[in-house]
Amino acid sequence: MDPAVLAIWVLRLLFLALLYLFLWAVARALLRDLRAAAREPATELGRLVVVATPSGDPPPGSAFRLDAVTSIGRDVNNSIVLEDDFVSSSHAALTYRGRAWYVEDLGSTNGTFVNGARIDELSPVAFGDEIQIGQVRLRLERART
Amino acid sequence: MTRIRPRLRGRELGLLVIVALALVAGSLSLGAAGRLRAAQLEDGTTVELLALADSTQLLVFLGALFVAHLALVLAGRRTDQILLPTVGLLGGISLLLMERLPQDLAGGLGGLAQTQLVWLVLCIAVLTTLAVAVRNDGWLRRYKYTWAAAGVALLLLVFVFGREEESGARLTLVIGPISGQPTELLKVMLVIFLAGYLSENRSLLVEESTRLGPIRLPPLPYLAPMVAMWAIALGVVIVQRDLGAALLFFLVFLLLLYVSTGRFSFVALGLGAFAVGAVVLYRLFGHVQQRVDVWLDPWTDPLGAGYQVIQALHAFARGGLIGTGLGNGLPTVGGQPPIPALHTDFPFAALGEELGLVGILGILGLYLVLIARGFRIALAAEDEFRAILAAGLSLVISVQAFIIAGGNLKLIPLTGITLPFISYGGSSLLANAVIVGLLIALSERKLEPLPPIRPPGRLQRLLSRGAA
Repeated sequence: MDPAVLAIWVLRLLFLALLYLFLWAVARALLRDLRAAAREPATELGRLVVVATPSGDPPPGSAFRLDAVTSIGRDVNNSIVLEDDFVSSSHAALTYRGRAWYVEDLGSTNGTFVNGARIDELSPVAFGDEIQIGQVRLRLERART
Repeated sequence: MTRIRPRLRGRELGLLVIVALALVAGSLSLGAAGRLRAAQLEDGTTVELLALADSTQLLVFLGALFVAHLALVLAGRRTDQILLPTVGLLGGISLLLMERLPQDLAGGLGGLAQTQLVWLVLCIAVLTTLAVAVRNDGWLRRYKYTWAAAGVALLLLVFVFGREEESGARLTLVIGPISGQPTELLKVMLVIFLAGYLSENRSLLVEESTRLGPIRLPPLPYLAPMVAMWAIALGVVIVQRDLGAALLFFLVFLLLLYVSTGRFSFVALGLGAFAVGAVVLYRLFGHVQQRVDVWLDPWTDPLGAGYQVIQALHAFARGGLIGTGLGNGLPTVGGQPPIPALHTDFPFAALGEELGLVGILGILGLYLVLIARGFRIALAAEDEFRAILAAGLSLVISVQAFIIAGGNLKLIPLTGITLPFISYGGSSLLANAVIVGLLIALSERKLEPLPPIRPPGRLQRLLSRGAA
């Protein structure tokens, strides 16, 4: 075979091979990325990030993992315990119903607020919304994957 | 102000090295094929075969890629490292293809490849600037109606300053020396609008519904502005006779509706509306009818309407499994390639001929990488707006690639739309660069704190003060 033709053949195959080498390298990187995400602790449905607390406990920026039903209050039996004088012992409940989050006030003294508005019945909360319980301001965020 | 500390991006560098090697191999192959043909014409003089097709153009492009990498390293953000090399490989393939086509297909700065190179470098610059500079998405989410209105205004401008194409479509906006295709920018604006609207009203769309017999419809008042927005865009596009863009907008709209609500009934409803619309358009508009008839049977008019499609099919057939090799396909007919608009509408057919099935599967794989990364970024996003925006941006690119690749392959009716990052043309490259730049910026962990909650109305403030 003519060496020139042979060289062209080799170069053509080399180009295609390198194209697939790139895809292989990317696939490996993507897979590693997914595995690292999977190694992180069990899946959560959402998280509640502390925006501000007058007492500094829990510290702003810290986050609570949320279960499908999460109760919030001052009593130690709540899923999330908030030590704040304006929080009732059983203050509010966050529930995940199929596709969206809801917050419900459990008859607290000082009320529960979503984006600054007081709620008096079960109301939906979107990710990014701010929930105020007592003097503690919390924000609902999507779960990390 | 916090000090910016450079952060090494090893994965990106490694992938860029593979991209550079692949493009050098491609360019060598293209150059050797051209020289061999020239030598055969001059019967058998030995020539130096191993040389790049056009070393300066390739070096400029690769240089731009590595400068972009350096800029991202210096910016020191924890952002995605896979998107830039992927775009680099697609752009490089585009450059090889443009070098190989007759240079007088499009005017501009001394030939097809050179103009494309300028746009590609600009595209990398835009992408990098956005990836480095966008640290806050408030300006996107706050002004969603403004973005949508600006997009539609841009389309309306085309009626005033538009230039009519041969096919009867008014696609190009010409204002003085500047010309561009506004639908390319409109697709970005539409995704931003949809992301803003859907993220704000998602829970309402999901939870409440208007019942119509057994069918659960979305709550009409909440869907109305969105459908109106979409109808305006679609209407203008249909009047403009740009079917590809109309199809793209509609599919992206439906997919985003599904992504944000998870309701299949919405999609079924949309597909029903699509079927009705398609039949009506087919009956009403001659150009739609022609496209569909050509798709069903191009051989009824092989030298007229069906010419492009038949030539594209022949090109794929000539390509076979591994193709004829770069620079060896497309025997010219009278000095012109057999497929008109090869550089804009049919690059996929050209690549199918020269790289074969293996090659185009690889290229489709690159688009797959873009969408996989986009969805990964969407999953890791902190709130709905960013998640829907990331999903929408990557969907726009991949749906567009599907529409034109499917059109080239006669899988769906052919519509004139560009193949992202490969087709010749500045507006398309820049719009897609904006999309990938935003995706990279959105991929940063801890992008920036979410915007403050909008202040409640006066009544609500009074109520809350009374309560506290």
